[in-house]
Order: sequence, then structure tokens, then C-alpha cells
Amino acid sequence: MTVLWEGFVQGVRGVITIGLIVVPLMIVLEIAQGNGWLQKLNHYAAKPFRRIGVGEEGVFPLVVAMLFGLTYGSGLIINHVRTGQVSAREAKVIGTFMAIAHALVEDTIIFLVLGAPLLLLLVPRLVLAFAMSYIVSKR
Amino acid sequence: MQITANMIQRGAKAGLETTWELAKVVVPTAVVVALFKASGLLESITALFAPYLSWFGLSGDAAVVLFSGYFINLYAAAGSIMALTLSWQEITICAVMLTFCHSLLVELPISKKAGSPLSYIFFIRLGCSLAVGWLLGVVLS
Repeated sequence: MTVLWEGFVQGVRGVITIGLIVVPLMIVLEIAQGNGWLQKLNHYAAKPFRRIGVGEEGVFPLVVAMLFGLTYGSGLIINHVRTGQVSAREAKVIGTFMAIAHALVEDTIIFLVLGAPLLLLLVPRLVLAFAMSYIVSKR
Repeated sequence: MQITANMIQRGAKAGLETTWELAKVVVPTAVVVALFKASGLLESITALFAPYLSWFGLSGDAAVVLFSGYFINLYAAAGSIMALTLSWQEITICAVMLTFCHSLLVELPISKKAGSPLSYIFFIRLGCSLAVGWLLGVVLS
């Protein structure tokens, strides 16, 4: 019973942390959208992702996932699908990419500290993220 | 630059709705992880697969690194690496394998929530991890 309770408390703590990040993130996103900045960023960052069938609206969730982690990128995707900015098909491609390549800063540092080489921690992940989501986009 | 009350309101609403959607996944998952840790299942799985680790240029000891990373998270894996004496090749192979595939109990349900089928994300991540691990095992040892 205590194990279940500990798990529950851990989960609630996790949700509070997520909320403290996701709510401000969404507000910043609204402001960025209202001022036309996001459209600019998406336009410039979209190029490498166009080939795997991800439109400009899907780029921001990808960038967030790569920098901050899967949970936050997924939160944006959930929101984007709900508001119709991203199609279910696109969400699958984006989901594949971010499942492989996310939290690139945090994950890389953990193993860099233990002596694994930087390039091996980053390059295979990015290459396979593109390859797998390309395959998914063609199906 | 323009910030209106409407933007803040809309953003906060979207943020809270999204947090609620994630909560429905995160809380049950945290309970599953706690049960998994307490059950001794990790030890059994590790013992079961240890003999096959030579395929990736790893000693049987490294199984605990891989499985604590696969199921729990990268910090658990890093803790296991520090508790063992592994060669730098082994540390590198484990680390690279784990970059593709980790925290599955937590991350697979999140991927599913974001619209990707669970089984196929699982196979892609594990497949990448095993393929790259095998390749590195051949190259490094």
C-alpha cells in the first residue's frame, strides 16, 4: 500500500512540475503567435523537417521536445492536434521523431559526464530520428 | 510587441488543459514505476537477459545498466554505471544504446497520448537501440 501511495505522490509532484512549465510555455506561445514571431521562427526552422512531411506548425513542438524533453513536446502536440494546427498523420511523424530525439541537452550531459563521446551521443540519434520519421511519413 | 489579457488567458487555459491531459498519463505511470521498482522484477529481467549481452560487446553486469535505463530512467542507469566497474567501451555502448530507448514505462504512455501507437514506438526505439548497440559492439571491441 505504501508503495502505491509513494508512486501516487511522485506522480502528483511530476504533474505540478509539468504544469509549472507547460502553463507559462503556452502563454509565451500565445504571445509569440499573436505577434507573428512564431510564424517567422517556424518558417526558418522548417526546412530540414519539410522532407519528412512536417509542416511549419509542427516545428515548434519538435524544437521544444529536442530542447526540453518528450513530455513538453508531446504537450504541445496534444494541444496542436486539438486545435487542428497539426493533422493526426503529421502528429505520428512528429511523435516518431521526438520519441527518438528529445531532451538532447539533459540526456547528453548525463552520459558525457560518465565519459561517453559527445558525437556518438548526438549524431546517431538525430540521423535515426530523421530516417525513422521519413519512413513513417512515406507509409 | 503586444501582450493582451486575452493572450494570457488563452495560453493559461491551453496550458492547464494540456497539463490535465498529461496528468492522466503521468500519475498512473508513476504508480506503475513504483510497483516495478518494489517488485524485484528488474532483477529477474536482468538475470534473464545477462547471457545475451555479449552480442553487444557487453559483459553480463551491464544488463542492470541497460534495464534500469530502459524501464526506469537515465539517472538510474547512470547510477548503475557508477556502481559497476565497466570499460569505457562498455560505458559508451550502454550510453548510446540508452539514448534511443529509455524511461519506457513513463515515455511510451506519453507518446501514445500524443498520437503514436505504443507498440510501434516501442519497436522503433528498442530496434534502434539494439541495432546501434550491435554495430558499436562490433566496432569498439
